Amino acid sequence: MLIGEVVGRLWASRQADGLAGRKLLLVRPLAGVDVGGVPGAPAGARRDLVVAVDGLGAGPGERVIVAHGSRVRDITVGAEVADKDIVVAIIDDLHLDPSSERRASGPPARGQRRW
Amino acid sequence: MILGRVVGEVWATRKDDRLERAKLLVVRPHGWYEPRWQTRHVIAVDDVHAGVGDDVVVCLGQPARWSLGAENIPVDAAVMAVVDRIEVDADAATPAHAGPGIARRWDAPASWNGVRAR
Repeated sequence: MLIGEVVGRLWASRQADGLAGRKLLLVRPLAGVDVGGVPGAPAGARRDLVVAVDGLGAGPGERVIVAHGSRVRDITVGAEVADKDIVVAIIDDLHLDPSSERRASGPPARGQRRW
Repeated sequence: MILGRVVGEVWATRKDDRLERAKLLVVRPHGWYEPRWQTRHVIAVDDVHAGVGDDVVVCLGQPARWSLGAENIPVDAAVMAVVDRIEVDADAATPAHAGPGIARRWDAPASWNGVRAR
């Protein structure tokens, strides 16, 4: 799954039957300080857009989680849909700590974390 | 599966019902194979109590759903393990020695425990 920002909607008059009536979103994968493109990726790759089917009512400017795969598609919007990128969540809050140092080794002490 | 470090957490209220109890982590992969979106992050469901700063093993695709104990949840990545210790052969891990399609964008931090040069 990836985080992306909804940058727009997409309509097509001539389209496969599997897309009929589906809301298509243009999603740009998040490119924050440390969650941008892979080093060495072709120029412009971090601007790549994903066309995702939305069943949650996401709108432009919102950050969403997009899951990928036919199985994900089958159990969310239906097997007849002709897209394998599906919006599965709309993000309320995101906390990133890209500089996080690796925690001390050793088995984590369960129960000490808040989850 | 890929190796990565947990760098953040995500909260979402509006989401697929089956994600209701899922804890979502932002993982920065140390290396990708067949990157689908050329992103430097992946969102993974965690049920092994990983936290920010942990190195984790993330499984992608169908086995990720199996590991979460249900096939009908709309996720494609799950944290499978929290790494206690890693040993890397620094020579073999360089891109020049990597096999086709494997860890070509390796950026393992030198500060890893157990990293040893040949």
